[in-house]
Amino acid sequence: MADEQYALEINDLTVAYHQQPVLWDVDLRVPSGALMAIVGPNGAGKSTLIKAALGLIPRAAGDVRFFGAPLKRARARIGYVPQRNSVDWDFPTTALDVVTMGLYGKLGWLRRPDRSARQAALAALDQVGMAALAERPISQLSGGQQQRVFLARALAQGADLYFMDEPFAAVDAVTERAIVSLLHALRDQGKTVIVVHHDLQTVREYFDWVTLLNVEVIASGTVESAFTEANIARTYGGRLGALPLALNSSHEADAYVA
Amino acid sequence: MSGIERLLIEFLLNFFTAEQLNAFFGDPRAVALLIGALVAVATALCGVFLVLRKLAMTVDAISHSVLFGIVAAFLAMLALGQTPDLSAPLLLIGAAGAGVGTVVLTELIARSRLVKSDAALGLVFPFLFALAVILVTRYVPNVHLDMDSVLVGEIGVAWANANSHCFARCEPVTITADDPRAEMARRCLNCAAEGISPRSPRAVFETYCSNCGTFSAAEAWQRRLIAAPPELVFVPRALVPLALIALLNALFVLLFYKELKLASFDPDLAAAFGFRPALLSYALLILVSLTAVAAFDAVGAVLVVAFFVIPAAAAYLLTHRLWQMFLIAPILSVSAAISGYEAARALDISISAAMVTALFALFLLIWLLAPRQGLLSALIRRRRQRLLFAEQLLLGHLYNHQHTPEAESESAQVTLHEHLSWTSGKTARCLARLRAKRLVTFEAGQVRLTERGEALVRAFREGLMAG
Repeated sequence: MADEQYALEINDLTVAYHQQPVLWDVDLRVPSGALMAIVGPNGAGKSTLIKAALGLIPRAAGDVRFFGAPLKRARARIGYVPQRNSVDWDFPTTALDVVTMGLYGKLGWLRRPDRSARQAALAALDQVGMAALAERPISQLSGGQQQRVFLARALAQGADLYFMDEPFAAVDAVTERAIVSLLHALRDQGKTVIVVHHDLQTVREYFDWVTLLNVEVIASGTVESAFTEANIARTYGGRLGALPLALNSSHEADAYVA
Repeated sequence: MSGIERLLIEFLLNFFTAEQLNAFFGDPRAVALLIGALVAVATALCGVFLVLRKLAMTVDAISHSVLFGIVAAFLAMLALGQTPDLSAPLLLIGAAGAGVGTVVLTELIARSRLVKSDAALGLVFPFLFALAVILVTRYVPNVHLDMDSVLVGEIGVAWANANSHCFARCEPVTITADDPRAEMARRCLNCAAEGISPRSPRAVFETYCSNCGTFSAAEAWQRRLIAAPPELVFVPRALVPLALIALLNALFVLLFYKELKLASFDPDLAAAFGFRPALLSYALLILVSLTAVAAFDAVGAVLVVAFFVIPAAAAYLLTHRLWQMFLIAPILSVSAAISGYEAARALDISISAAMVTALFALFLLIWLLAPRQGLLSALIRRRRQRLLFAEQLLLGHLYNHQHTPEAESESAQVTLHEHLSWTSGKTARCLARLRAKRLVTFEAGQVRLTERGEALVRAFREGLMAG
């Protein structure tokens, strides 16, 4: 089906806050099966891009499609991992319960999660190496463990397209490795994963696709073609200076430049 | 509301006689405890979500501004020619509207970004409250609204403010002049007009019936027109509204438990799933407003906040599971209401104030003594951790120097404290504990790690490396 070619298709998206554009006329196409990083400086609108795509904040203009369908019809196929500090981790609940929340969307109004939902949640926790801590109150988890609980919650959704907002922010090395292998496992299953990422050093190692964003899309494409020194400099306004990145500039010409 | 009251009594009459019901509903203690328990349950159920959503002060605002809603609806009903009563639909709509209006107005003002949201709340609800007071004093001069009842309620006299329902011998009695019960009398027709005495020969008389007319069953009994009294059951007015709101809150929590939990923990995900967290939030606020109105008469606008906030805050200290909070909070709240009432009767003090004091005392107790999250257990835990850390530090020091040339001086029992910059007392106590645990031994004034001690240090260091 031609519609399935792009997991995410954003056309002319503008988001403004008090008439100040945070995202300006963004066009973005993410092919199905891509493992993509969104990078850009602070305030570039990375999280805003995800939230606007998911309809969590209003957009001033533009259109977003998921697998060729509007959000309403694609909701069940989309998983979202918000920033870890977007919720109150002192909430009285357990790791397993948070993961079970990932299944609420499928249940809809009024239906309660049953034994099979519990099993699915446990399996998701196991995938991120947290099965042993299933009954642990979330307030007693470390930051990295909390991040993995959030990932497990998205996994439990069984989505085809995942949005992750800075999953690597302030996590320990164990968690970082766990997340990377999870991302690759998802890619190998043919899922599309879009990750807001901060660390330019690891883009090449972790991701296949990249979008460089600073209010506008500076470049988007495979890491090889788009993640060039020139594009990075344009994205960060040359502020990074001499980046210790071994960049291959020969593919620069192939980059899709907005 | 009156129909529901009647249904309730008809149901109860299957199990009790009218005399028993009247004895119960006429007993100040029984009614105060029942009303107190209903207030406690209704508020505690909402309170759990309010505390988790950090809306404790919003409740304070709502409980004040519902007064404006009540007064506005009261005036509207007077204008429409209806008799205002606290359970009339218009009053409930007014109260719910004022509660939600407070929050919406606060959000609008805060969104201007010229005023912070707490200040916005602080300027909205006193204004609505002031407006309510002005409306009452200007347009409803003889309404019963004294400041005491607004502040602390009147749970102690809730039994006296009752509706009556008649169940037998309820027929109204009509007496006509030819009725045997009619009392006939004579009166002078022209005495007053002509200024003459009834004894005057010019006085003209007519015979009339002095007790003719239609009387309700109760009036007929009072006038001794019927042989047996009608069977009346008196129900405290506050009872049915409170019971209904407690039921409504329980149903809301039971039915939408999953949705409310998700919307409270992660509103973004709830929205992404299409659960309308804003809608749920407003539904919760409407229930809070209605609960505040129903509890208003019993415990007053100020003290009702304590019933919303304290049981939930205490339950939060006792469990890490949300569903358990919904059991613990009402139990705490009801037991505080009961003990508060008994204390108030024993000491002759305000009942609702005693209930709130009991709530706070209960909270204080839990705050200090809660098994895992209490202040005391936290202090003990912290002390234990501090001691453990000191032990590990000392073991680590010994481990690092044990096979080096300076081991002699670094591990000497008497000078060890100087190397660590500890007091000699602290060092000695720490060493004593370590020896008791068989982690170190003393040999000729030297402190040495035992095998167990060495193994422990290695395990600890590996743990550190692994992060």
